[in-house]
Parts: sequence; C-alpha cells; structure tokens
Amino acid sequence: MAKSDDCVHILQGLLVFGNVVIGMCGIALTAECIYFVSNPHGLYPLLKATENSDINAAAWIGIFVGLALFALSILGIIGVIKASRTLLLVYIILMLITFAFEMASCITAAAHRDSLTPEHFQKQMLERYQKSEPANNSEVTKAWDELMLQNHCCGVKGPSDWQEYQSAFRLTHSDADYPWPRTCCVLDAQGLPVSLDGCKLGVPGYYNSNGCYDAISGPVNTHAWGVAWFGFAILCWIFCVLLGTMFYWSGIEY
Amino acid sequence: LSLPTPPARLPYVPQVSPMALLGKVTATTFALERPRGVFDSHADASDAVWLVVAFANASAAFRNPPSRADVPPYKQLPTARSYMTLETPAAAYSCSAPGPPVLRVGSDTACRDQGRQDPCNGPLPSPGPYRVKFLLMGCGGPKAETRWSEPILLRTAASPSTIDPAPARRGSAVVVITSILASLGAVLATAVLGALGAEVWGSLCHRDLGTDAFLRRSYRTHHIPPALPRPLPPGCRCSPPGLCHSAPQPPAPC
Repeated sequence: MAKSDDCVHILQGLLVFGNVVIGMCGIALTAECIYFVSNPHGLYPLLKATENSDINAAAWIGIFVGLALFALSILGIIGVIKASRTLLLVYIILMLITFAFEMASCITAAAHRDSLTPEHFQKQMLERYQKSEPANNSEVTKAWDELMLQNHCCGVKGPSDWQEYQSAFRLTHSDADYPWPRTCCVLDAQGLPVSLDGCKLGVPGYYNSNGCYDAISGPVNTHAWGVAWFGFAILCWIFCVLLGTMFYWSGIEY
Repeated sequence: LSLPTPPARLPYVPQVSPMALLGKVTATTFALERPRGVFDSHADASDAVWLVVAFANASAAFRNPPSRADVPPYKQLPTARSYMTLETPAAAYSCSAPGPPVLRVGSDTACRDQGRQDPCNGPLPSPGPYRVKFLLMGCGGPKAETRWSEPILLRTAASPSTIDPAPARRGSAVVVITSILASLGAVLATAVLGALGAEVWGSLCHRDLGTDAFLRRSYRTHHIPPALPRPLPPGCRCSPPGLCHSAPQPPAPC
C-alpha cells in the first residue's frame, strides 16, 4: 500500500511539474507572438499584400493559445492535487481543443513560410510598387521604400529586377531617367543621390547593388520558425502530459 | 564645282564601355567608351565631333551630311532610320581632356518631350540593334569618320506575369510537422474516447470499478480500537504462564 502511495505521489508530482512547464511555455508563446504581431521590421504590409497573411494569423492564434495554455495548466495543477475527476475531465477536453488550434497554427506558419520565395516578392514588387490606383498600394510602396533605405538594398534580387521586367514603376518613370528607383541610389544627408549620373549608369559605389531578399527572409524565417517549431515542441510536451493525466484520471475512484 | 574630299577613315571602332557598369545598356540608353586622342591628327579648334546612330540594317545606306544644316535630327529616326547627336567640340576628345569615361546615349528625356531643334540626345525608341560611328565635321563638311561599331542590342523587359512564384520544392519541414502532429492528435483523441467509452460502458453495466483503482479519493478508515487483554480471574493459578492446573471448579476463561 505504501509503495502504491509513493507511485501515486510521484505521478502527481510529475503531472504538476508538466503543467508548470506548460504554463510557462504558454506565457513564452504569447510573448513571442505578440512580438511578431507588433511588426518590428516593417514587413507586415509586404506579407499582407500577398493575399494570404497566414503567418500573421498563425501568430494571432498563438497569442490566444498561449493564454489558454497558462489558464489550463493552473486548472490541471488544481485537478491533480485535489484528484477531482470532473476537473481533470474538463482539463483534458479543453486541452485537446487547444492542441487542435495550436496544431493548425504551426502547420499554417510552416506552409506559408515555404511560399515566400524571392519570385513571389519580385512579382508583388513589380506589380505594386508605385502603382497609384488601388489605395492600398501606397502601403506597399512605403514599405518597400523604407526597406530599401534602411537596408541599403535595391529590388528583390538586385537593381536588375527593374531592367529585366516591366513594372508599374516603369509606366510612370521613364527608363532613361530612372533605370531603377531613386531609393536605390546612395543618398547623402539630405536624401538626394550623391551622384545622379553615377547612379543611373550603375557605377559601383553610387547605387545599392544587392537585393533586399535577405533583409526580408531573415525576419520572416525567424517569425515562421518561432511560431511553428516552438509550437511543435510545446505540443509534444502537452501530448506526454495529457497521456499521463488520462492515466491518472482513469485510476481515480469516484 | 569641285567635289569635296571624302572624309578620312580612322581605324577606331566605337564600342560599349568595357567598364563594369550595371546600367551601361538599358531599354532605351547605352553607354559608349569615350574616344581619346582619336581625332587629334585631323581636328582643328573649331571642329565638332558628332555621333551617328543608325539601325544596324540601315548603317550601310547612311550618307554623311555635307554640312551642319543637313544633319538628320533625332525625331527623324523612325523614318530616316538614323540620326546624329552628341555634338561636342573636338578638343573634348583629346588625350588630355578631362571628362567622364563614358558617353551615355539617350540620357536627355527633356529634349524628346519638348521637341527642341538642337541636337537631341533623346532615348532610343526601340531595342534596335543599332550601330554607331563618330563623324568629325568642320566648316566645310565631314573631315574624318571612324568605323561603324558592332551591332548594339538594347534590353527588352519581360512581363512580370511570366514570373512563377511557386516554390521549387515542397518543404520537408511542413511534412514532418504535419505528420507528427496529426499522429499525436489521433493518439490523444483515441485515448480520450477510449477512456470515456470505458467509463460509460462500466457505468451502464454497473460494474464495480473500485477493484483496480489505485487511488482512494478519501481515506475514510473506520477506527477500531485494539482489543485489550482481559485480566485473569483470581481462581486460576497458572504456573507456567498460560497453563492452568484446573481446580474442581468449572473452567473459567484464563
């Protein structure tokens, strides 16, 4: 009898520990997703323009899942200590629902990340940058301008993007005056090109020759993998804790 | 009326600048290497060097203009298939003259739009190919000419709808995450359903579930005081303890 008591106490202790970890991970997930949703790198307009901002939706789901995990972990700890069948049943069912939501968020973030290729951004930039008709293109234009100014880059793969393809930009800016946008030129303190002729000709040192894709894909990768893999790890842990809880629940007498 | 002397043929061949410039050939402009010291032996102080630009298939039919008044202007390029531009004093092409190392043909969009009569270095209207040569003109007509260049083909921009934004291959991370999470979810759902089903089945069959429960919710033990040994009656003498030599009385419990 004493040995069985010990086993029960060990199981209770393990379940309480598991729930404490779940609670802390839930808080961490919420904090991480709030950080991503707050758009620290100014990339949200570019992702929204892709007509499915799934990574952002996954981050929003992550916020609520994290809070739910924290609340459920407290419920689980109370249920395990009081050995209450009702509380634990409620805990198990709600945890399953949260599991399903977090699963959807992980898969969405991972799948959407795969679709963000350089060609994807090239197409969006060429079709929307400096296009005046639908009003939401001004956000895309501003986002690209800020991206190019802050990271000293031009286009997605390079300034030759503007030469190899026609674009909405080309419709309003002639090729002779603007082989590529002025934001691709090296600018002085007043925001004017250091040498306009040098920039138009492509003289090294007077224009930004590298593409912006690295500046985009770095933060987007961190964002997507942060949501997807961290969520995956939490779900694996929840799986183990839930199995233990169900075993514990089935052993409780009425 | 004496025929004018034919212009001297210089062995110099104009070419697109060999420097590494990203914008040396765009859709409407190109950059030529600046000739240095090519005209020194034939030029006077008052002479001017013109650039002849012609479609590659019309260069053989080009006739040098006899005087400055007969120079074909820029806006006649579509009909005359050639024009002359970049009128520069011959001294600017001498060995020691300062100046940019390239000549950009097509850089002046203002003269195209305003239709001025001066030699106009306007953007080229089609990708070409074009051939160019330099012509040294004096007061009496052309004095020297260089060879025709190789055909120069300008860039043609493709439509952005030809860009295929689909990723090259399906990411393996999505497959891993999806398959593992789906199997974990299925196991959990099965376990919960199994546990609930077993409980419902048990309550329907009125089976006592307490036999294998390892945890009693409340330890209600009935407190039974231990039985106290009764004192020996005074008539019983037991010499070894517990053994009574019986007197003729009826046996009394020792």
